[in-house]
Amino acid sequence: MSTAVSGLTDVAVEAAPPRRAAGRGALGLGLLLGPGLLILAAGLLWPCLTMLQVSLQDRFPDPTGYTLEHYRTILTDAYYLRIIGRTFWLAAVVTLVTAVLGYPVAWYLARSSSRRKHLIFLGIIAPLLVSIIVRTLGWTIILGNEGLVNAVLRGLGLVDEPLKLMQGFWSVVLGMVHILLPFMILSVAAVVGKIDRGVIEAATVLGADPVRAFLRVALPLSVQGLASGSVIVFCLTVGAFVTPVMLGRGQVTVLAVTIHEQMVVLVDWPTGAALAMILTFGTLVVLTAYGLFLRRHARR
Amino acid sequence: MADLAPPVRPVPASERWLAAYVGLIVLFLALPVLIVVPLAFSSDVSLTFPPRGVSLRWFSNIWARPEFLSAFGLSAAVAVVATAISMVAGVLAAIAFVRHAFPGRDALLMLFMTPLVFPAIVLAAALALVMTPLGLLRSFWGLALAHVVLTLPYILRTAVATLTEIDRSYAEAAHTLGADRWQAFRHVTLPMLRPGLLAGATFALIISFDEFTVSMFLVGPGVMTLPLEMYNYSEFTLDPTLAAISTVLLVLTSIAILVIEKLVGLGKQFGG
Repeated sequence: MSTAVSGLTDVAVEAAPPRRAAGRGALGLGLLLGPGLLILAAGLLWPCLTMLQVSLQDRFPDPTGYTLEHYRTILTDAYYLRIIGRTFWLAAVVTLVTAVLGYPVAWYLARSSSRRKHLIFLGIIAPLLVSIIVRTLGWTIILGNEGLVNAVLRGLGLVDEPLKLMQGFWSVVLGMVHILLPFMILSVAAVVGKIDRGVIEAATVLGADPVRAFLRVALPLSVQGLASGSVIVFCLTVGAFVTPVMLGRGQVTVLAVTIHEQMVVLVDWPTGAALAMILTFGTLVVLTAYGLFLRRHARR
Repeated sequence: MADLAPPVRPVPASERWLAAYVGLIVLFLALPVLIVVPLAFSSDVSLTFPPRGVSLRWFSNIWARPEFLSAFGLSAAVAVVATAISMVAGVLAAIAFVRHAFPGRDALLMLFMTPLVFPAIVLAAALALVMTPLGLLRSFWGLALAHVVLTLPYILRTAVATLTEIDRSYAEAAHTLGADRWQAFRHVTLPMLRPGLLAGATFALIISFDEFTVSMFLVGPGVMTLPLEMYNYSEFTLDPTLAAISTVLLVLTSIAILVIEKLVGLGKQFGG
């Protein structure tokens, strides 16, 4: 995971060389980092450790002992396994699609000398400023039975009955890609912008055709950006709730929906906590494998 | 201008195809918004596109429903409080990360950035678990704490990036001239940090205002954020009221962005 995740903080780490050894001692440093650490401890670490504990309790709220029973129940139940598989498959598909769609845009943003670049940049980040509910609602209107696509198709006489575009896995993919594409574009552009133009030109001068120069030189140099973009997109997809619910119309049950159901509706906290831990560990495993894969291929 | 541009390479055709593709992607990104705004002015109850008539009835419907206004108020208050707390904690931490070298710094910075990629549903469930026995569930401060966790990385990231670009010799000069550390920070470093902080704060406010999944576990009757109120409404009623709210939000966000773009250049702050 380290390769993949470190890409996220790369900008900061690279840009912050140690200027000198720790000066005013631990007290000053403690005062500076204290509030942030307190927030992280109270709002992230402690809740997650508590959840791990609850997921292992045999009874809730008054445990008599610890057990792996909740994990065993989930991991031997075909219903849950299907949901886990669907969640990670959705995240993988969304990551792949955003990477493929976003890479050329990032390339353009980072390397084009067009004067319209600034406008394009605003066009990429502006959707991030629009409520997710609004954007999802927009897609339900576009894809719905009475929606834009069906109106156009019926107007052209191509279909008589409205196409049911709104009830499946792919409408959720569409909505998630729409929401997460800007994250991928910005992550890749940050890295592509740093590639020395001369390196690619050198490859061309040395006889590589443009495709080869791209595949052998530019793409490997962009891997860090694709990696950090993929991590963001993957993690945001596995944790998403509103898009799968609104665009899936109850047909696309992902882990987020089940966790919400277990914890809020059924108030079965240990099962909900175990599902959340499985989601976390699953994500870590996928990202670690992905990081190792990229590291191997980046070295070639 | 022209002499600053890199030598023009003879690949205009492929550049033009790329530009056309980028235009399509921008259109794709804008599409749902382009659909929602016209519907807000529809006179029809159904969400069909294009709308059949023009009216402002859905805007007046917002005012007729006090729950939307109180949800807007709560969301705005949570966003402002969470952003303010994140600003203080984030700027202090950024100073530590940029100006100090200490063991484990890179790992710690990564920990601070974790909420950016932490699956929202997991954070939501975990926070609900610890907040329930503390009575923080369905409370303003419970929501605010959750939103601080989520906005802190955005503030920290822009603060670290901006602070890195500020030469520390300015502060040292002030120091040599007799300013104490606080005065040097307050009068020298902080003014130079301001554009970056403003951009980071804008992003944090929007992230908080739009947050859905984590809030979903922490809200309840009487303590409802606007995205949750809109979602609840959409579960039972599908009419253009939500499109009208969205349009109002869009106008408010655009005004805020334009003001900040004029003041500091938001695009610049995000490397554009």
